[in-house]
Amino acid sequence: MATSEEQLRAMMIAGLEGNAEAHAALLSALVPILRAYCRQRVRNDPDEIEDIVQEILIAVHTRRSTYDRSRSLTAWLFAIARYKLVDHFRRRRHLRFIEDASEMPLAESLENADSARIDLKRLLEQLPRKQAKAIWDTKIEGLSVSEAAASAGIGTSDIKVSVHRGLQALMARIRGDK
Amino acid sequence: MRTTEDLIETLAKDVRPMPRHGIERRMFLGMLVGGATALLLLTLLYGIRSDLNLALRDSSFWVRWIYTASLGVGAILVTRHLARPGSEPSRWIWFLAVPVLLLMGIGITELAHASPSEWLSLWLGRYWEVCPGRILLLSIPIFLGLLWAFRRFAPTRLSAAGAAAGLTAGAWSATLYCLHCPEVSAIFVLTWFSLGIALATAAGVLLGRHLLRW
Repeated sequence: MATSEEQLRAMMIAGLEGNAEAHAALLSALVPILRAYCRQRVRNDPDEIEDIVQEILIAVHTRRSTYDRSRSLTAWLFAIARYKLVDHFRRRRHLRFIEDASEMPLAESLENADSARIDLKRLLEQLPRKQAKAIWDTKIEGLSVSEAAASAGIGTSDIKVSVHRGLQALMARIRGDK
Repeated sequence: MRTTEDLIETLAKDVRPMPRHGIERRMFLGMLVGGATALLLLTLLYGIRSDLNLALRDSSFWVRWIYTASLGVGAILVTRHLARPGSEPSRWIWFLAVPVLLLMGIGITELAHASPSEWLSLWLGRYWEVCPGRILLLSIPIFLGLLWAFRRFAPTRLSAAGAAAGLTAGAWSATLYCLHCPEVSAIFVLTWFSLGIALATAAGVLLGRHLLRW
């Protein structure tokens, strides 16, 4: 049911004079108008639209004394609706900005970690396989010496020696490369 | 999430009749309390000038008072206008320049009648250093009163509304400060009173964007 400006204004003025029924009728009549207004401007998310509609209704209620009875009600209403909509967008953008900010460094560090892993692999490929695997398991994967020994099927002291020799060889190679 | 029907039902439980001039009433109340506080501060911190009786017979006192009070009245009208949603700062705010231009005319006449060697002392008076800061200080309670009033208003141009509220607070603070300040020259008032009022306006712009949000 579409309600005309005249009807809305009559309800508004009755509400301003303390008629609670007229005020409730006004707010109910505004709901479809505001939904349509928001639907044109917000991507199709019914929950979000309903959120904004409710915010506008609360503003219409709490700020109703700013309505000048000699002026257009819809102009007043849409001024409030526009303000609340902009406010909603501003807050959401702010929120999205925070989300972006927290995700970005994370993504970047993951990328860095990935490229470090690749460099390390290339370096380890130059070592004998036993030493490379010992270093990878204990230093990168974080296995204990006995776990690494079990996984490689060799003794714990063998692992220790392999790690030690392998690291020394890598150090020498890096120094030599410079 | 509560449904919109529930929300309307809750809101409709609180439908007190609204007075016809709600904006004017709230602004008046806020400014009355703020102004009374400012007057009290003025009396306690600086004192009312003892020769007020004499001063009231002096035209320069009235020139000053009419200047600040007419700015104050104009600023109230602008503030009231911007309290409603959708109102833009309109063209008639240039009327606020009228008192400034008039005082400028009086100031120039005054300087023309004085010898150039007196110009500096007319301009700086004895209290030019303290005057703007004191006007800014006394404007704070009035500004707070207006902020209270704005809690039920719906400004959609926050910086402009903040400027209008700051100007109102500054102009009325300056009007009260006339009760203390013994300076008489128009050029003094034009510079230092206006500077205090301008500082209050600038503070209003900066604060309005944050504090007038609703």
